[in-house]
Amino acid sequence: MFVTALALLRFAASLIFGVSFSRWALDKLVDALCETHREFGMIGAEGTEMLQGPTLTLEEQQETHLRLFRTQAQRAAQETPYYQHLFAELQLDLARLTYADIARIPITLKDAVRLHPAAFVRNSTQPAFRTTTTGTTGKPTSICFSAEEMHSYTSLATIGLLARGEVTPEDVVQISTSARATLSNTCLSRACERIGAIWYQTGLVEPAQALAYLVEQHALPGKKHQVSYFVTYPSYLGQVVECGLAAGYGPADFGVERISVGGELVSNGLKGRAQQLFGPVLFSEGYAMTETWPTVASLCEQGHLHFEISQAMWEVIEPESKQPAQPGEAGMLVVTPLPPYRMTTLLLRYNTEDLVRVLTMPLTCSQRHLPATSNLLGKLKLAVRHEQGWTYPRDVVEALEAVEEVPLPARWGYWAVPGGVAVEVVARSDSRATQRKIEAALQAQGVPLQTLHLVRNPQRLQHPFPLRCDLRELDFTPPKLPVPPPKAQLVDSRALLLRAKG
Amino acid sequence: MTATVRLELVTPVLILWLHLALTLWLSWLYFRRYQMTRPPVGVLNTSDITIMVASIILIPYLYLYLPRWLVVGLLVLGMGSALYFVAEPLLRWRGALWLFTGALIVLDLGLAWQSGTQNLPFIIANNAIMILVTISIAVLWAQSGMKARDVALLGMALAVYDLIFTSVIPITSNLFARLDDLPFVPTIAWPIADTGMLLSIGLGDLLLVTVFPLVLYKAFSHIAGIAAMLIGGGVITLLFGLSLVGMLGEIFPVMVVLGPLMVIEYLYWRSRVGNERTTRQFQLAER
Repeated sequence: MFVTALALLRFAASLIFGVSFSRWALDKLVDALCETHREFGMIGAEGTEMLQGPTLTLEEQQETHLRLFRTQAQRAAQETPYYQHLFAELQLDLARLTYADIARIPITLKDAVRLHPAAFVRNSTQPAFRTTTTGTTGKPTSICFSAEEMHSYTSLATIGLLARGEVTPEDVVQISTSARATLSNTCLSRACERIGAIWYQTGLVEPAQALAYLVEQHALPGKKHQVSYFVTYPSYLGQVVECGLAAGYGPADFGVERISVGGELVSNGLKGRAQQLFGPVLFSEGYAMTETWPTVASLCEQGHLHFEISQAMWEVIEPESKQPAQPGEAGMLVVTPLPPYRMTTLLLRYNTEDLVRVLTMPLTCSQRHLPATSNLLGKLKLAVRHEQGWTYPRDVVEALEAVEEVPLPARWGYWAVPGGVAVEVVARSDSRATQRKIEAALQAQGVPLQTLHLVRNPQRLQHPFPLRCDLRELDFTPPKLPVPPPKAQLVDSRALLLRAKG
Repeated sequence: MTATVRLELVTPVLILWLHLALTLWLSWLYFRRYQMTRPPVGVLNTSDITIMVASIILIPYLYLYLPRWLVVGLLVLGMGSALYFVAEPLLRWRGALWLFTGALIVLDLGLAWQSGTQNLPFIIANNAIMILVTISIAVLWAQSGMKARDVALLGMALAVYDLIFTSVIPITSNLFARLDDLPFVPTIAWPIADTGMLLSIGLGDLLLVTVFPLVLYKAFSHIAGIAAMLIGGGVITLLFGLSLVGMLGEIFPVMVVLGPLMVIEYLYWRSRVGNERTTRQFQLAER
């Protein structure tokens, strides 16, 4: 406990002053959390708060951000070719940067990082791990990390999962994400190992195969009997749900307690339909991306996206004027990962191209101490500008996935037409009733629908929206999905049990 | 050889025995009924025991060589914290909590200042405070996940410490001489008739006798805890009895007897029951 107190102080010093994380302190904190969980069965709310670091006032937050941004900017100017060149032109005094000066620093574009990933790596560091994005919106982007960073990220992931009680030593974790998502897969799998949970990576195999893994019974000592924590993308979850419901599975066939889902937009329709298959599971949603790793945003119970201020400077920039978005306006998330979270590949004011809306009302949710925006609206490249303004992927996804007649994941496309947008979507039927239902759902989401094309075959979509579930990994043998027990048989066996007891 | 009963010791022995019984009983009740605020992350483990032993060796020197005002300050800080934490689950209103803690601090300081530490009103008040402090620390340790193995180890380490620092090097007697006339003197004491002397038991010994039944209860069973309480209480009673017949010196290292007994008790329950229960397992079993 004394050592834990020292480790906590060292951890807090990293958060406040931006000095590198101490491997010793992180290891001790992870050990202490594991020990606390083993002894008491949970980490209390006070423990979680303590690990989030000190709560800062708005002024303190701004002061801390400014100080850490200056440090990061100086390192970038001295040690990375890209920013060396940029700051030579800007003639800014980086040691005395103000918020007005920061606004003058050009936003770093995805393409710049895509084309010259090495130009953002500090020359005094030792990159040990290079990861690439899955490239859903273009050529994959590469980011380098040092071994120390990877150790810190694993430790931070372990601390987060344990503190939130998301993964415990009894859990069986199934990771159904692309095998190429090496950064998140490495951090999560190592975190599971530190916690003592068992994990396995299935990759994006045939959904029937993933489903077979989910219903499989395990007899591992000290572990739950089935997968309890399922990690995947929304579109792949949609495929699994569709496959499971079609095969006649229901909540009694699974042991899933929580689904961690991200990397794409998560709709309420998807969550509701997933609960039809798995029962009342919990969802872990948030926001993270390779380029700004390990900075995260989390979703509160009111659907706001809250940003961890100690990890990064978050800005919302209106895409056309390139000025900060005003309340009610949509804008791009521009993120600067700060020290000590990012030490090797430095990105200042990185344009994530992810859109959010600035909130108009004061926060009343449980995370109101953290700045927030609306939930993600989608990628800027996938949003459509039309005569009446913008339509965002979220508007369409929320509408489509709430309609039972649209198979999961919703496969669709849209484009601007005079007076609004035209939408095409794969539906179970192209009947008039289905057409009316989908039109009503889209209009309820505020989509200025002009024409709706229903198709039965995804190949017939003209502008298909990219989905991660299509990054399919192949198997030698076709999946064998166990036949679910008929529901009548279940009732019979219960009756037999009752009779035996009687 | 015949032993004669020292009649002047009968009353103090009885009163100290009652204090001991009250401490054991109240700590047991408190442990079962209330949850103290423990540090939210971490468990009391072997590394903490090592640090405790190092502190136990160093702190007497600090108390001997620091200025008196600073020693009093440290005692007020330590005892005040223990009083605050023990009252926290009982007094929901924070103002009442501070009032309670403040009142006891003022009472102890005031009585020591006004009438000295050998005076009966001070002794009564200080004894009551020491009982509360003992309960506070014992329950906090037990509820912070301290293992029976670690308390047994601490007991054994203190036995060695007591043997050296009480019997060989007179640190303990010098320490008591230094602390005797200060407020918050860490002993439970009673005057011996009109001799101007006190019969006392140190806070450290009392703490170990109190915490061991709680951790054995948590680790193994209700019976293990009760047995430890009876054995610990019995040993102290026996030592009081020996002091009554004049078979003990002025100062006796209690842990020399208690420490090895704690190790034997732990080994017995470990071999009989198996692994220690965690707090979670204990709570589930107690529901």
